[in-house]
Amino acid sequence: MYRGREGQWAFMFHRISGVALALYLLLHVVDISLVMYGPDGPFNAFLAFYHQWPFRIGLILVIAGVVYHALNGLRIILMDFTSWGIRYQQALWYGVLGLTTIIGLPILFKIVPEIFRRV
Amino acid sequence: MAVRPKTLGEAQATYSTNTELAWWVFMRVSGLLLIFLVFGHIFFNNIQINVAEVDYAYVAKRFSRSWVKIYDSFLLGLAMLHGLNGLRYSVEDYFRRPGRRFWAKVVLFTVAGVVFVLGVMTLWAFTFEEMGDAVRTLNGG
Repeated sequence: MYRGREGQWAFMFHRISGVALALYLLLHVVDISLVMYGPDGPFNAFLAFYHQWPFRIGLILVIAGVVYHALNGLRIILMDFTSWGIRYQQALWYGVLGLTTIIGLPILFKIVPEIFRRV
Repeated sequence: MAVRPKTLGEAQATYSTNTELAWWVFMRVSGLLLIFLVFGHIFFNNIQINVAEVDYAYVAKRFSRSWVKIYDSFLLGLAMLHGLNGLRYSVEDYFRRPGRRFWAKVVLFTVAGVVFVLGVMTLWAFTFEEMGDAVRTLNGG
């Protein structure tokens, strides 16, 4: 790894979150497609399996990845299509991290208690 | 384009660049649209409700709604293309040997194609709740 600064970390997080989200998308479409087996098919059992807490923590990571990837994507768009984007790319990245936290915290407060509550 | 490519090699050199440019633009445009679609998707299914409530009845009801079919079709199409192209970029970055790169792409495109078809089938496997009596009669109910 070369010792780049903010831009390198921004790229690396974007790449890791992107690959993870793409793989999650494939899995998500396949598991939702089990609904085609009908109400007596394996769908409900499969979802009950996914509703266990380790997967729900995984789901929080997926949401965190979505928020970061979305906001950093906006940063990339600003860098590509404005005259000032690249000049402020470091500040923009800290903005991305800040906004990810600001958007992520309420989601965390909403979802984490649900994980430990019985439905 | 003033100068047309005259050989297959020239055409490949010219048009692959244009294709890559098109993909470059697509990643930005689809990314912008996906922000709204994905945030909405997470809001409806994970924020508005407890995701543990999701079961067969919930999903079947969702997929019988016309707007969900349309919304999720755009979501599926754009997300699959955006994700697939992102994975392709990654494969091209990390698989240096041409043979391995080729086979990685074959596996990637095959899996993505199968999953996309599964997704489309799932979305359209449910009858429209809001289509009215004409279609319901056709469907025998």
